[in-house]
Amino acid sequence: MNILVFAKRVAATQEEELRIRDEGAAVDLSKVPFKINDWDNYSVEEAVRIVEKTGGTVTAISIGDAESDEVLRRAIAMGARDGFLVSSGEIFHDPGVRSRLIQNFIRKENIPFDVIFTGVQSEDDQFGCVGGILGACLGLPYSSMVIGIDAVEKDHMIIRRELEGGLQERVKIAVPCVLSIQSGINEPRYVSIMGIRKASKVERKVFQAADYAAPASAGIEVVRWTYPEKKGGATMLTGELDTVCGQLLGILKEKGVFQ
Amino acid sequence: MSYALIIAEVRRGVFEERNLDSAGIAALLGKEAVMLIPDGAYEAGNIAETVVKVKVAEEVFLNPLNLKNILGQVFAARGNPDLIVFTHSSFGMESAAYTAGAFGFPVVTDVSGYDKEKGVFLKSYYSDKIFGEFKASGGPVVISVRSGSFKEFAVDKAAKAEEMEGAAPVETRTFVEYVEEEKADVDITKADFLLSVGRGIGSKEEIPAYEDLAGRLKAVLSGSRPVIDKMWLPKPRQVGTSGKTVRPKVYLAMGISGAFQHIAGMKDSECIIAVNKDTEAPIFQYAHFGIIADIHKVRDKLKEIVG
Ligand SMILES: Cc1cc2nc3c(=O)[nH]c(=O)nc-3n(C[C@H](O)[C@H](O)[C@H](O)COP(=O)(O)OP(=O)(O)OC[C@H]3O[C@@H](n4cnc5c(N)ncnc54)[C@H](O)[C@@H]3O)c2cc1C
Ligand SMILES: Cc1cc2nc3c(=O)[nH]c(=O)nc-3n(C[C@H](O)[C@H](O)[C@H](O)COP(=O)(O)OP(=O)(O)OC[C@H]3O[C@@H](n4cnc5c(N)ncnc54)[C@H](O)[C@@H]3O)c2cc1C
Repeated sequence: MNILVFAKRVAATQEEELRIRDEGAAVDLSKVPFKINDWDNYSVEEAVRIVEKTGGTVTAISIGDAESDEVLRRAIAMGARDGFLVSSGEIFHDPGVRSRLIQNFIRKENIPFDVIFTGVQSEDDQFGCVGGILGACLGLPYSSMVIGIDAVEKDHMIIRRELEGGLQERVKIAVPCVLSIQSGINEPRYVSIMGIRKASKVERKVFQAADYAAPASAGIEVVRWTYPEKKGGATMLTGELDTVCGQLLGILKEKGVFQ
Repeated sequence: MSYALIIAEVRRGVFEERNLDSAGIAALLGKEAVMLIPDGAYEAGNIAETVVKVKVAEEVFLNPLNLKNILGQVFAARGNPDLIVFTHSSFGMESAAYTAGAFGFPVVTDVSGYDKEKGVFLKSYYSDKIFGEFKASGGPVVISVRSGSFKEFAVDKAAKAEEMEGAAPVETRTFVEYVEEEKADVDITKADFLLSVGRGIGSKEEIPAYEDLAGRLKAVLSGSRPVIDKMWLPKPRQVGTSGKTVRPKVYLAMGISGAFQHIAGMKDSECIIAVNKDTEAPIFQYAHFGIIADIHKVRDKLKEIVG
């Protein structure tokens, strides 16, 4: 089974203070660390596990600037055979534009595959769209929220989709197909610095996004970036750690959950 | 004719409450609403001008490949809508993207606000730290709406009933069965006091120390999704849309940022206390009390005081 895995380098903003620049025109990410999208880490792992059992290859593909090569080296260290960088400095806020670019790339370069993996969503933009649009553009069956792959056959797979409240749905899907992988599907292997250094010796091919760009007739555009509306918010407990923890215990007592 | 097409989310015979948000945004935009729903005895209420029952089974309807064919039929019969609305859920996320791709329509997901004056949709970025104002052009815009965002705008409507035959189901993706969650050792939905830990705890090695704290406080330990994904805690302890919805007397969140999928599972708790080192963490918008501190230090101090 040959699997293409799309992996994105994202801003890790969970612990960062984010600032909007130029009166809403841009978000300042200059001081923010970057890493592989969490969901893509799970999907690289899943692809490598399948290929370890069935044979075939995993190809990791990232669209972005030269820095995205970091994600490819990591994927190779995890077991991908190839890493392709579709190089682009341009901003695509429209997941449709991005999916069509990927579609053109796969077709033009004639890249053979049985299955395409994307993550359910990217941590930064949270569109959760690239996989679905791509599946539809390629005319392939699609499933998102894939939390388990129970069987891999030549012409089909049995997968589990995650629904709400802990419920799952078992689905039979024909191959070739596009699947968006949900976090928690596996336990991704540890990647050492040594491993990444070794992976750096494997050649990564670079393609130019401009060669595959599709003229977009429909699309979305960001008019402005804003901060969330404040909803009143919490009463902050302040002071020394002793005081704050004392206050916290006071609240627990008042609510009757702790004596 | 200009109208909003609402694709109802249903599951195992239940009409999801989230559909009210879909109806709400259609009303907010002043659109006549047509709602599609599969065959079945659903309590859909009167939230659209027209409710079209598509005579296919629920599992057929909830499959984006079938839905594409059904939508093709609807567009042929009624013309294109201006707006196609899904819930932002396991069903809606999947089908909104696929629909946009299949018809070449623009798409904005996880919409949680609409600015009427500017005509822009608000969408979260970076787990709610920033919002983008989006304009769509070149066709009916497909959106998925965040649960709880628009339900207050839903109004009573005529709900004229219609029926249509659905296209034959595809064979390339088919429903097999539902799989229930593993049995739990404790039921976190029954607890009065939950100590909930997030990715901020850093590693699995920290779990015993939080278990110990929970023990001393007589709280039950639960977690956000990353903690469960990493197998630091078992799945039945997950709070949020894809885990459990909880309403304890006290919900003490440590190292949880406050993504909407998490918030949706705990926002109705009587008292929410959040501990986080990031002053901008969105969870402080939903908490009653907040502490800006290192969670490990708070943990150790609490243990010291409680003994
Ligand atoms: C302030 C800001 C600045 C931005 N600047 C740029 C920029 O300079 N250049 C740019 O290219 N984009 C930029 N983007 C990102 C772009 O807007 C989105 O990536 C795009 O709309 C797709 O949505 P998503 O990433 O949320 O994809 P989702 O649909 O949420 O992602 C799902 C999956 O699609 C795949 N995928 C998505 N994007 C990529 C990728 N790049 N490479 C490989 N796989 C991918 C992954 O498998 C991912 O798990 C920027 C976004 C913001 C908020
Ligand atoms: C379809 C779908 C379903 C989902 N379902 C759920 C769900 O049911 N439940 C759920 O929780 N999520 C769910 N998610 C994931 C959700 O989007 C977020 O990714 C997740 O909630 C983030 O978890 P977190 O807050 O623990 O981690 P993060 O967002 O990484 O936040 C960690 C926080 O810890 C803080 N922190 C770090 N170190 C310290 C320290 N030493 N002291 C104090 N604070 C610290 C940081 O400032 C940060 O705010 C779902 C996502 C999708 C796409």
